[in-house]
Amino acid sequence: MEALRQAFDFSDFPRTDLCVAVAVAVFLFVFPALPHSSFAMATMIQFLMFSVYGMGWNTIGGYGGQVDLGKAQYVGIGAYTTAVMQIRWDLPFWVSLPIGMSLAVGWSFIIGYPLFRLRGHYFAIATIATSLILKDVFESWSFIGGARGLKIPLRAEMPDFWFLQFREDYYYYYVILAFFFVGLIYLNWFRQSRIGMQLRCIKDNEEMARSLGIDSHWAKIKAYAVATAFVAAVGSFHACYNFNIEPEDVMSLDLSVLIALMAMLGGAGSLWGPIIGAAILVPMKNYLGAWFGAKAGLIGLDLIIYSTIIMAIAAFEPRGIWGIVTRIRQSRSD
Amino acid sequence: MALLKVQDLGMRFGGLMANWGVSFEIASGEMVGLIGPNGAGKSTLFNCIAGLYNPTHGRIHFLDQDVTGRKPYEMARMGLARTFQVYVASGDLTVLENVMVGCFLKTRSRRLAKERAGELLSSMRLSHLSDRNMANLPVAAQKRVVMATALATEPKLLLLDEVAAGLNSTEIDEMIGLIRWVNTEMGISVILIEHVMELVMNLSQRVLVLDSGTLIAEGEPEEIVRKPEVIKAYLGERYLNEHSDASSKGEPVA
Ligand SMILES: Nc1ncnc2c1ncn2[C@@H]1O[C@H](COP(=O)(O)OP(=O)(O)OP(=O)(O)O)[C@@H](O)[C@H]1O
Ligand SMILES: [Mg+2]
Repeated sequence: MEALRQAFDFSDFPRTDLCVAVAVAVFLFVFPALPHSSFAMATMIQFLMFSVYGMGWNTIGGYGGQVDLGKAQYVGIGAYTTAVMQIRWDLPFWVSLPIGMSLAVGWSFIIGYPLFRLRGHYFAIATIATSLILKDVFESWSFIGGARGLKIPLRAEMPDFWFLQFREDYYYYYVILAFFFVGLIYLNWFRQSRIGMQLRCIKDNEEMARSLGIDSHWAKIKAYAVATAFVAAVGSFHACYNFNIEPEDVMSLDLSVLIALMAMLGGAGSLWGPIIGAAILVPMKNYLGAWFGAKAGLIGLDLIIYSTIIMAIAAFEPRGIWGIVTRIRQSRSD
Repeated sequence: MALLKVQDLGMRFGGLMANWGVSFEIASGEMVGLIGPNGAGKSTLFNCIAGLYNPTHGRIHFLDQDVTGRKPYEMARMGLARTFQVYVASGDLTVLENVMVGCFLKTRSRRLAKERAGELLSSMRLSHLSDRNMANLPVAAQKRVVMATALATEPKLLLLDEVAAGLNSTEIDEMIGLIRWVNTEMGISVILIEHVMELVMNLSQRVLVLDSGTLIAEGEPEEIVRKPEVIKAYLGERYLNEHSDASSKGEPVA
């Protein structure tokens, strides 16, 4: 009960935050009713997906301060579990979702154990490596379609809520919107919880944290598992939303980097950060990407933009946009 | 009954023996000073006891258990708390949150942790700092908050590493009062590493002197400052001349 109250307790945020949050929530609810292009709808769905990816990343990467660049492997595990179970055994999304999340979390414990013996850059590099190795395995594993990937067959009747197959995108929109709110409420609990505060203490000063009775290795593994569960859930959704999955798009390094980048741009270690980051980068990626893509010779410019953003964050404000907002607020109140 | 028993402890860093043949006991409720010149191995000794270093020789017993080589968090869970000589916070936590993290050792409930942290801060007269960021506190306040956080774990033995360094004389007096309160009111045993002799002389029931990694003397404070080997290794002749009445002010010349 206390946990539930805590999850819905936003009282430590300033009123302006809450007003903006409510306005955004209302907008998200009514968006499908507003006039929009199908490209805008797809962008909104992606924005919500990346918000949830980023929320997950934020547990270990933001609150725990461990820069994880290997989240795509868990997107892959979630997406493939859902696709394979649907194709081979005709099992619906709502059955494969928890299984995919469990498999991903199980895998995260196995690799998290040795991974968190490493610190800083070594940890970041190792997360990239493990993700790419798993991608290689998936690409050469014929049972799950190898490099060509899998195609989920269409159901005879749509909308199919069990298998998450819809002709209209707004169904997908509301499903991922539900994920978004569940994730947000969970994270609001997490940041105030014992484990959440212990992680922030580890980030602050790990030796100090250990001297306060915190098993920092285990705390990081747990946070990593939470992050993994978020990411795998969206991976499962991705499989149903896209019908087509292949290692190159659900497990690529680009995806891992984008997940981390959005959370870091918006503000690592803050509740709103990943959402802000996704709200900026997803439209930018889609609209600029489409525009660049149309002009040959400009392909790859988006990558240059991403790397510029990474460098800007590292140099000016490691806490991202939310860090800037906090700084402005502090200087006003002083 | 000995709360802590260190037997023939040795810690080697490559060719350097930072601790060598160190043996002593701390009784429950005791307050003991640990002094010695820079680089004598005082902090290293704390790190061995607290589990940060795994000693290369000897054994450590805490609460009648052999705890040699246990992890820092295991020691903390058994009732050992410590402060660090150098403490840097990147500033993710407020003062209240930091103390709450200490409280989380004994409770899972956020509500209880918040209550206890609030009580502890107010009994240490730190409530006004609750919402301040850990990273930009004045030295004196930071030392007290770090102590409050250590106390929040409800320890049986508290290791204090130079908590008076960088404090002015008023702040030192406050610190003396605070440590005495911890020992007598909270019933926590204390070992304190300190270069500020005023604090050592005022608080310690017993003083251990470490030089080049080994214990060279042990005894009551008044007795210790008169021992030729301690004067030679650490205090210097000037200290004795200035404090010939065995009162206790000022810093060693070391
Ligand atoms: N992790 C380590 N690796 C290598 N050498 C170390 C390590 N920790 C301490 N030392 C060395 O051990 C010796 C004792 O250091 P220690 O920090 O214990 O001294 P100290 O008595 O606390 O001195 P101070 O009064 O300056 O704090 C020093 O020579 C130091 O350089
Ligand atoms: Mg020291």
